[in-house]
Amino acid sequence: MVMACRVINKRRHMGLQQLSSFAETGRTFLGPVKSSKFIIDEECHESVLISSTVRLLESLDLTSAVGQLLREAVQAQNNTYRTGTSTLLFLVGAWSSAAEECLHLGVPVSLIVSVMSEALNSCIEEVVSLQVPVHNVSDRMVNTKTFSGPETFSVGVYPFLQIPSGTGLIQKERDLKDVASQSLAIYSHSGRPVKSPQLFRSQDKVEADENTSQTPQTLKNSLLADTRCRKSVLTHSRHFSRTGNNQWISKPDGVLEQLSAAIPKTYRCDDLVELEVGLSHGGHSSMKLVDKAVRLQYRNAGMQRGSCTMPFLFDISRIFTCCLPGLPETFSCVCPGYITVVSISNTALIKELQNQPIRVVLVEGDLTENYRHLGFNKSASIKTVSESLKVQQDGSEELWTDHVLQVLIKFNVNLVLAQGNVSERLIEKCTDSKRLVIGSVNGNVMQAFAEASGAVQVAYITQVNENCVGSGVCVTIWRSIPFDAADRINRMAIMLKTEGINLVTVVLTSPVTAQMQTKEDTFWTCAYRLYHALKEQKVFLGGGAVEFFCLSHLQILAEQSVNKGNQGCSGWLHDTSSWLASSVTQYRPTVLKCLANGWHRYLSTLLYNTASYSSEFEAGTFIQHHLQNATDSGSPSSYVLNEYSKLNSGILNSDISDKLEQIPRVYDIVTPKIEAWRRALDLVLLVLQTDSEIITGLEQTQINSQESEGFLFL
Amino acid sequence: MSRLEAKKPSFCRSEPLTSERVKATLSVLKGIVTSCYGPAGRLKQLHNGLGGSVCTTSQSAALLANLPVTHPILKILTTSVQNHVSCFSDGGLFTAILCCNLVENVQRIGLTPTTVIKLNKQLLSLCTSYLKSEACGCRIPVNFSSTHILLCLVRSILTSKPACMLTTKEIDHISTLILRAFLLIIPENAQDHIILGKSIIVPLKHQRVIDSTVLPGILIEISEVQLMKILPIKKSDSFKVALFCVSLSGDLSDTGEGNVVVSYGVSLENAVLDQLLNLGRQLVSDHVDLVLCQKVIHPSLKQFLRTHHVIAVDRVGVAVMEPLSKVTGTRPIGSLDSISPSSYGSVKDLCTAKFGFKHFFHLIPNEATVCSLLLCNRNDTAWDELKLTCQTALHALQLTIKEPCVLLGGGCTETHLAAYIRHKTSSEPEGILRDDGCTQTELQLIAEAFCSALESLAGSLEHDGGEILTDGKYGHFWSVQADSPSVVNWPDLLSRCGCGLYSSQEELSWSFLRSARLPFVPQTCLPCEATDSASNLTLDCFTAKLSGLQVAVETANLILDLSYVIEDKN
Repeated sequence: MVMACRVINKRRHMGLQQLSSFAETGRTFLGPVKSSKFIIDEECHESVLISSTVRLLESLDLTSAVGQLLREAVQAQNNTYRTGTSTLLFLVGAWSSAAEECLHLGVPVSLIVSVMSEALNSCIEEVVSLQVPVHNVSDRMVNTKTFSGPETFSVGVYPFLQIPSGTGLIQKERDLKDVASQSLAIYSHSGRPVKSPQLFRSQDKVEADENTSQTPQTLKNSLLADTRCRKSVLTHSRHFSRTGNNQWISKPDGVLEQLSAAIPKTYRCDDLVELEVGLSHGGHSSMKLVDKAVRLQYRNAGMQRGSCTMPFLFDISRIFTCCLPGLPETFSCVCPGYITVVSISNTALIKELQNQPIRVVLVEGDLTENYRHLGFNKSASIKTVSESLKVQQDGSEELWTDHVLQVLIKFNVNLVLAQGNVSERLIEKCTDSKRLVIGSVNGNVMQAFAEASGAVQVAYITQVNENCVGSGVCVTIWRSIPFDAADRINRMAIMLKTEGINLVTVVLTSPVTAQMQTKEDTFWTCAYRLYHALKEQKVFLGGGAVEFFCLSHLQILAEQSVNKGNQGCSGWLHDTSSWLASSVTQYRPTVLKCLANGWHRYLSTLLYNTASYSSEFEAGTFIQHHLQNATDSGSPSSYVLNEYSKLNSGILNSDISDKLEQIPRVYDIVTPKIEAWRRALDLVLLVLQTDSEIITGLEQTQINSQESEGFLFL
Repeated sequence: MSRLEAKKPSFCRSEPLTSERVKATLSVLKGIVTSCYGPAGRLKQLHNGLGGSVCTTSQSAALLANLPVTHPILKILTTSVQNHVSCFSDGGLFTAILCCNLVENVQRIGLTPTTVIKLNKQLLSLCTSYLKSEACGCRIPVNFSSTHILLCLVRSILTSKPACMLTTKEIDHISTLILRAFLLIIPENAQDHIILGKSIIVPLKHQRVIDSTVLPGILIEISEVQLMKILPIKKSDSFKVALFCVSLSGDLSDTGEGNVVVSYGVSLENAVLDQLLNLGRQLVSDHVDLVLCQKVIHPSLKQFLRTHHVIAVDRVGVAVMEPLSKVTGTRPIGSLDSISPSSYGSVKDLCTAKFGFKHFFHLIPNEATVCSLLLCNRNDTAWDELKLTCQTALHALQLTIKEPCVLLGGGCTETHLAAYIRHKTSSEPEGILRDDGCTQTELQLIAEAFCSALESLAGSLEHDGGEILTDGKYGHFWSVQADSPSVVNWPDLLSRCGCGLYSSQEELSWSFLRSARLPFVPQTCLPCEATDSASNLTLDCFTAKLSGLQVAVETANLILDLSYVIEDKN
């Protein structure tokens, strides 16, 4: 065995470059408007449609060490929070470019590490001021409005769209949007969404205005000149809409009101719908389903606990999704109980079982003759000999099946749910004797049935006794599903329910099979966002507010360290006496600026992706303008809060629309977001500090002559 | 058909150290370990190039375990470092770098190996006796009534491993946890003979470091399904425990090579299950409350036990077996035959707990000298590094109990020791030479090689192009930015020495470490108040460093002594 060792940062840091190029692939997933991607396997010509970072990295071949670390980081974020991966991926790219820039400017590695990590800490401490407490939303759940109606969720994307146009256009726009996004997802192989001209008509005009205006001041003036258009351009940018609103407080005489003078409104969010709309980030149809699921769970919980007042907790483990590709979108719904798909040949059986409570057995593993519990080692060296000839080779399975059936008959069980596979022969036999056996049941579903029906999960059917059998389960045919091209089997969906079962099935449908996965992912992302928000009882002001604030905070830090000199060192440098500690002052502004550039890139990509700007450069100018305002105002946090409060304060004149109180804010979840930042920076700094790659078990001959340059062998 | 092949002759090389290839590989290895050293050390990505897991590390333990070196000389080096690490955890890189430096420096001199080895040994004993003496100027006695020195030691170990990716706050948090975990394993009523308990590190990956915690007792991870099956735990003062190290999964013990022939209708599985259920009956009749099994328990046996209100927890894992048996007082049961009542033990309390997304079964023993350190970190590779570092820190604390003193870190011990040796060899060479048959010139040469090996080891702490200074009073380590003006007022540029003990307030006659200096008497005997006043000291584990020094010198001697390498090519 030979070990090869490769120095990876002689002059250019290969690791960082790899990170930024990997991250570039996920750029379009940032923000609420996601462009899908086709990933095509050259060899077997299979393709898959993806629109999330996790799916992207799953499909990419990242065998290099850095790629592996990136995948690991994204998966860790996804496994822990199920959200924030696009932010993570983008920031990895932005900050690895930032770190590379610092290296290029001659900043010592240890200083980059220490200043960047401390600066991000400082940002994380500061953004607390943009947190919004979420209070007792469940208390108001029953009485308040529900998340429904197309107007409401259209408003979610483009909060101000109805101001100049009224409701009619909203409906139209939504339809257009749906059509556009669908056709795009299916037919456009790559690239950015093609915008329908009607949809963004008013914006185009302003874009032209903006293009002609050279400075922020003239931009402002031109915007002031054409109020209608100005409003609509801002509305299109969900993620940055608040920042464009400083014109809204312009007095009739055209004098802008001093921004910092306005007192920020005290923020709190105590309405579930408001929270949901704010957290939907473009996934409105998904969030609508989440809303229904939460309400259903709340109602279930209310029935369970009766009069006692326990706080309601959103239990995401008791939400189950059932995907039915091929059905139109409108069939998506939320139902209590468990909905699953079975072969249409069971129709007669189900009809027989319908309308009566039946008894159930829950099997933890497979329900096959050969299945043994985990940890059981089968001995290979046992041979069974028989003295008589009457036993056939295949007799043992038959015997086993008969035995299982006997047990089911003995305990009068008509339904078996198994977590693993079920023997085909057994299913047949059971169907003959009017018993339904369903395999591959989700573990949480099993748990819910165990609780509600009183059944105890068993590993073997021999374990079944009276105490293990649950009762009171109802089976009904829920809906028949059209012919599925993939399976060539007609199937139908059935619903299993028990009195008081704490389980909600969300049925997701899509006429396009390729979109099914995306639909399911979006649903879960929305569900987890709401889950984290309710669990943490706080959210961030969203739509880029926190990132914008971090950007301006870093700028202020950088200026302070130029002006006032060193105020204490950071990281391990804090304790060290190394010369690095005393030269922090010299390099800090550079590093902070590079880190801030990362945020800037994040925001401009966000704006660009949200389709308000024709180029990232243009979006960048827009951000720069607000950054200046924020710095001038003296307190970036109150600036952001101010801008935000204008969204639904009384600035809007009441004559425009009576639905204005429904205009939602955009929210973001707290810990998952901050963790994504940290993970991104950790990964970048880990790679930055790596100077060589040690490949074990590599033979000298395995490396061809071109590559072997730069390898050292031990 | 067997084929007979003639044996190849063995391969013999003389003077292995003079070969260019050996020199080159030795310098690659030196480059790797040197670049890892210290808090600013660079990291290495270790992987197999085929998509296996990637380990990012700067620790010798992880590095050397994965380095398949081929040359016998490198093997000697890596093996002795690994041995040192397995005994003392800390100081692996120190040992490796010092050994490489010594070999390299001595080779340049060109003295005979015998002389070199003899003198190296003399210098080593000079070092060890100085470090062990009361007069030693780089040693601090540990006062166990305060946590200050111990916390500094733990912090120094944590900061020296950058791949843990900890922020200042997180370092504080983890240091406190490690110290608490250490205190929890010290028995309360200690006589003159202390037996330390054990702290078990429980992984909780992908969570925030700040969520890490320490709990007395043992945590056993269980699945949610298993958790639901555990009945509500009744209140009691004590629970009777049976601990199995044998699998209760109902499979047949390995039958070896032959076949077992059974006639049709006989089920061996059922026979084993019957035996298991008999065992279960005995457990129930012996009023056992809790059955723990290292491996798997058959679902039917579990069901049986549950119906008789016995809690069964399986898949406990081999790691907690020893502490489990120790704190519960059970004797692990290794057979399915009847159980002797003396095998049972007891615990004070049981409960279930949830941390992150994992469920745990928490056992609280009567006499707790076992604790669980729930360790969180964001990503896998940083978690692995943090775990190793925590183990090192815990081990260093244990070693400190045995030998209650610590050495100054941050390069100060090395430069101080070099200054001391320079002074000794120039002022009283006779005392060192005695009647070895070596000349004073030889001693001067070797002493210079030895000292510069120590000093360049200290210099390895610098990775960003800074310069190293040393002072003419204490012989401590000072770092300064490169290209500083030649005539400067040093106190303005410097802040504190490497270990943090002295500040640049007084005039200490600094000079560059690489420049020639006149020998001076470094100040011995650390004043107590000096250590108390300094808030943040960088410290090293005394025992580990002393052993590292010995291992490095002895390994270097061994390598220098090699005159032939004979390889069996068959």
